[in-house]
Amino acid sequence: MKYVLEIENVSKFFHGLVAIDDLTIRVKPGQIYGIIGPNGAGKTTLFNCVTGIYTPEKGTIKYKGEDITGMEPHKIAQRGVLRTFQNIRLFKEMSVAENIMAGCHTKSKQKWYHSIIHTSFYKKDELKHWKKVEELMEFFGLSQFAATATADLPYGVQRKVEMARALAADPELLILDEPAAGLNENETIELTRIIRKIKEMGLGIMMIEHDMDMVMSLTDYITVINFGKEISQGLPDFVQDDPKVIEAYIGSDDDEEDE
Amino acid sequence: MNKTTMIAGTFMAVMAVFPFLANSVWLSIGITFLVFAVVAFSQDVILGRAGIFNMGHAIFFGMGAYTTAILNVHFAMEIIYTIPFAIIIPMIISVLLAGPIIHLRGDYLLVATIGFNIIFEQVLSNDVFGLTGGPNGIFGIDVVRIFGYELFSDTSIYYIAFGLLVITLLIIRNLDNSKYGRALYYINKDEIAAKSMGINISYYKLFAFAIGAAIAGAAGSVFAIQYSAVSPESFNFMQSVMFFAIVLVGGSSSLPGIIIGTFVMFVLPELFTEFKESRYLIFGAAMVLTMILRPNGVWPATFGNIPKFLKKKAVSNVSEQGETK
Repeated sequence: MKYVLEIENVSKFFHGLVAIDDLTIRVKPGQIYGIIGPNGAGKTTLFNCVTGIYTPEKGTIKYKGEDITGMEPHKIAQRGVLRTFQNIRLFKEMSVAENIMAGCHTKSKQKWYHSIIHTSFYKKDELKHWKKVEELMEFFGLSQFAATATADLPYGVQRKVEMARALAADPELLILDEPAAGLNENETIELTRIIRKIKEMGLGIMMIEHDMDMVMSLTDYITVINFGKEISQGLPDFVQDDPKVIEAYIGSDDDEEDE
Repeated sequence: MNKTTMIAGTFMAVMAVFPFLANSVWLSIGITFLVFAVVAFSQDVILGRAGIFNMGHAIFFGMGAYTTAILNVHFAMEIIYTIPFAIIIPMIISVLLAGPIIHLRGDYLLVATIGFNIIFEQVLSNDVFGLTGGPNGIFGIDVVRIFGYELFSDTSIYYIAFGLLVITLLIIRNLDNSKYGRALYYINKDEIAAKSMGINISYYKLFAFAIGAAIAGAAGSVFAIQYSAVSPESFNFMQSVMFFAIVLVGGSSSLPGIIIGTFVMFVLPELFTEFKESRYLIFGAAMVLTMILRPNGVWPATFGNIPKFLKKKAVSNVSEQGETK
């Protein structure tokens, strides 16, 4: 398998306005692929197309060679494409452990009748996945918050819970939408370390991020988009010095920092 | 947590010996309370857990009651054998009815379910196929016979209803600790996040309907046994509103909440019968006050339903941190 994700000439319009214009992106397993660009460039729209929340009007999206264009979000997730959200979507009133357990949904083999009668199969299945939740909480340093409602946790911890939840589904493609947004410097450093460790697991990671230090230190390859169009792509060092990228960012850089 | 267990234990113990403490009027109120609590719990699976604005729950309750009545009166089937039908028929029909509307957003779905309830009442009142008996309903339902015993006393019917409540509570406890039960909570709390975790929203919502309708159907059967008659007005839109309100007033997906809700809505009015119709003011006042003062219900649900070994870790970690500080 050469690519875990192939986005081929994808375009998305909203009421005739172009949100994404003819984008082609290919992500390899074990690679961190950065998507950067000014606000409103269409980055999140692209992620929503990949995860099935939107259906692109043109082009195809292939996951491990299978065409997933326009497939329902839950089917795409069941195949192993998991994501986090820019503005954090956790099950707020529920505890950290319960939130991470949501990621085990596709892995659990329980049938409908196991919700009425708890058989020995049920018990094994349930324990297996709670153990996995335990491991993930240890990996992310969340064990002490196991029973805490996620709404009561600091932003940085919530980000980790969201990532742990996605990882619980054993994804082969992990999509991170601005993982460092709203984090302080220390939290960002810790998150960078965690993402590096996740990369070692061998999955493909696609990431939108505005924190340039983080992008430059983490990503293996970058596509820069502006107004839905690709304006540059390449290795971080190349993209950083590309005059087209610098031009796109001048004047808008400050706004980005506020986000 | 221990306090809750104690309250629950005391409540169940009182309910178990209630027939020996109550006179016949109170015994019959007790049966109604148990039956309606079961219906409220079944609505709580749909409304409280899955978060579906189902305003037609009396349909499934009524379908169970009419199934028992029709099979017993028209087809001379023993009551005990009608119960499986009173569970399965509402279950299947709930999925058929909810299927086409399950993707609708909350408020639109609510209007659609009101429509179903009105149609259901019309079907019952118009004696469709000569089976439903028209506006007067069906009367002369037989007593329950098991192993040659006739269970006609209110006390025995009380224990049938109590047994049903216990089974319902066990099912709900098992549901809450399963993949399917958790999926309902996830859908309720954030549909987009749930979808992105691979949860098929429509499938699980229909599952909630099926479970809710099945339990309501069983309760309907006991209702038919209690009154040995069924009539359309017991299953009209207003009844659905009541079941909807019990869940919100008591507290969505909270077991004590549902019990309190049922008590406030059905038992309290019985305490004030000398005030005649004006006693229903309690309904109105209870609904308004709870929504203003306690928008999550009188006894809101608590989460954190996780295995002990995870909880222990959380506690020990927190105390370790406290020591180092």
